[in-house]
Amino acid sequence: MAAEPTTRELRELVAEYEFERGHLIPALIEIQERYGYVSRVAIEVLARQMSTTPALVYGAVSFYADFRTEPPPEREIVWCSGPACRLLGGDRIREALQYTLDLPLDGQSEDGTYGLRLGQCNGTCSEAPQVWLDGEVVGNLTIAKAVTIARDVKGDA
Amino acid sequence: MNDRFTAIAGEARSRWEAGRTGGREQVSLCLDTSSLAQGGAETLAALEEAIASRGLNVDLSTTGSWGFCWLEPTVSVRSAAGTRTVLYHSLTPDRVEEFVQAVLVEAGEFPELALGVVEGSPSQQIGMLEDHPFMQGQIRRLMANCGQIDPENIDHAIAKGAYEGFVSALQMEPEAIIELMLESGLGGRGGAGFPAGRKWDFLRNATAEPRYLICNADEGDPGAWVNRILMEGDPHLIIEGMLIAALATQAVEGYIYIRHEYPLAIERMNVAVEQARECGLLGEDILGVGKKFDLVVFTGAGSYVCGEETGLINSIDGYRGMPRIRPPFPAQAGLWNLPTNVNNVETYANAPLVLRHGAEWWSSVSNDDAKGTKMFTISGAVNQAGCVEIPFGLSVRELLETYGGGTPGGVPLKGYQPGGPLSGVLSAEEADLPLTLAPFRERGLFLGSGGIVFFDENTSVVDLCTYFLGFAEDESCGRCTTCFQGTQRAVEILRRIGSGGGREADLEKFEDLIQTMAWSNCLHGSFAMTTVKLALRYFREEFEILIREKRDPTRTLPGMITYEVTSGGDTSLAEAASICPTEAIAEEEGRFSIIDELCIRCGACAEVAPNAITVRDRFV
Repeated sequence: MAAEPTTRELRELVAEYEFERGHLIPALIEIQERYGYVSRVAIEVLARQMSTTPALVYGAVSFYADFRTEPPPEREIVWCSGPACRLLGGDRIREALQYTLDLPLDGQSEDGTYGLRLGQCNGTCSEAPQVWLDGEVVGNLTIAKAVTIARDVKGDA
Repeated sequence: MNDRFTAIAGEARSRWEAGRTGGREQVSLCLDTSSLAQGGAETLAALEEAIASRGLNVDLSTTGSWGFCWLEPTVSVRSAAGTRTVLYHSLTPDRVEEFVQAVLVEAGEFPELALGVVEGSPSQQIGMLEDHPFMQGQIRRLMANCGQIDPENIDHAIAKGAYEGFVSALQMEPEAIIELMLESGLGGRGGAGFPAGRKWDFLRNATAEPRYLICNADEGDPGAWVNRILMEGDPHLIIEGMLIAALATQAVEGYIYIRHEYPLAIERMNVAVEQARECGLLGEDILGVGKKFDLVVFTGAGSYVCGEETGLINSIDGYRGMPRIRPPFPAQAGLWNLPTNVNNVETYANAPLVLRHGAEWWSSVSNDDAKGTKMFTISGAVNQAGCVEIPFGLSVRELLETYGGGTPGGVPLKGYQPGGPLSGVLSAEEADLPLTLAPFRERGLFLGSGGIVFFDENTSVVDLCTYFLGFAEDESCGRCTTCFQGTQRAVEILRRIGSGGGREADLEKFEDLIQTMAWSNCLHGSFAMTTVKLALRYFREEFEILIREKRDPTRTLPGMITYEVTSGGDTSLAEAASICPTEAIAEEEGRFSIIDELCIRCGACAEVAPNAITVRDRFV
């Protein structure tokens, strides 16, 4: 994950993308894969590359849940919002995670060390209720276990 | 036949055969998303290590899913002589050493983890896989290769017959292909069941060029993963289906739109497209017959309404994925305002089967209402969260009991939800409905794309409604006031009812919302209230008790309960106090109590001190 991308780097990265060929979303995905998020500069560079307005690019960025407009946190708990998880106490897990981390869903700490994000069901429902901790499934959760994980992520003993 | 394909298939088959007749055991580990979630990657590493450290001459490969999603990682072992293949389950990394020793070194078997014999004869300890209760009654056509081939190796797919349906379609006029599809009775598998042949015919009759195909692999209904199983297990079946559709409609380019939550499916579809291109099955001059068709795998970026076909089209076009106002329909003005056909993954995947085996064979299972087989995923209050392929018409109860293994702990079933968050809930008394289109349509909902979520008596229906309406609210695209404001209002009212503030007039307000939201442009808004509508039909009493008695019969809604220490000296309470995320458990001289104002009702304390903490009604 690189630091704040420069205009020149971004121009090179998106040089081959064309709006007319359906490349807006793929370009945004590539930018986010490279830098972890889509910065203000990236929105402006991409708009110029695609001969459109930053407003249109930002319209897409804000519509799709996967795009971030600030660097991702170092550690992240992605909470599964699926029905199998919900039926096994998923919403209580969300509540406990939010209070433990003192964050709303899709929020992150001011220093960027940890965050909490809403995730969608990917059909690994035998592991319900689950979260993804730094990309790895932690399944068959209890609320107590979720609190312990959140404290660990937050750096509390 | 096409000479070039005959040559390609011949080579593919000989490579596949060479791999199977080399006198080595073949170990095939299922590595799909469910397996990965259960440690599949670690099992693979452990197998590689155990095989290498013993210097065993064994072929190790990976496959898609057999459907036993709750028992991953599954692994099949084919004997060196090629006479016997046994499928095993739950091969966690810690079991790999003893497994390798018993099965590969001593050339024995491992009955403890055996699911059944795939090829060969049964033994005293291991029966045939087809006799396994989970496999009985299943008809594996779409899933025929799932678990049995390496999805990243086109030779395997071709050896099993892939692209033969497409090659026979090459000999047919577009009208004849469409006629065959209509004869089969294949209906769209995304939920609506609209005849695929008719949809293709709309595109065939379009006036503008070029024309496009889209495969809707957005599978956004939580609790549905049938498309994932196919993409991760047999991606070439989907490509072949799109090729057949391209011949029938004269489309020159296709997009496979996959949600970003499915990275492995995206990877495997990309590999398959690349391999098909290398074989000359995609590109400028397919198999030398002068046909042009190519595919792009397009990754979504997180939006449920992009599963609606015009929202999906806007998304590829580079806009917010807001469903369009129809007409014009995609067949007239779709991608870049050019003629486009959108089908679900499973719809395209059926086309090769029709072409290979004929319409009569294909439609010989199921009933007059819906033809062919259907894949379902089972989740929620079930013992076995898995994926099956069955004929239409089996009852919901059979699905739950036979394949889902019943409800956990034998808690009685309360109801189920077919077809995703917009579809609605039905009560257990409707569990004898056959899984086919008409009965659900008659009840005001739809069978949907294949996800069936069961819930038991411990579930609050008001909580379910809050959940599904909250989902609809989050995912509303914002075009229609009826939808984005309507879902907000519905959630507000449901939350109020669920925290003791319900009013008699709320039930009428729901009726108003049901009416006005039905005016929304797309199904997202017009069907969002189905859950509430059906919940009021089947579970009205639960709403009434909440509103009139201020009591939640399930004692699960956080707003309707309190936690109370009933045995203040219990030793487990110290742990409960330390786990409480809001420090709501106070200690005074060794005795504990809960400060109600601080309690968020998460229930962590009751998990660690079940004998000392009791849940009580908040208002009674």
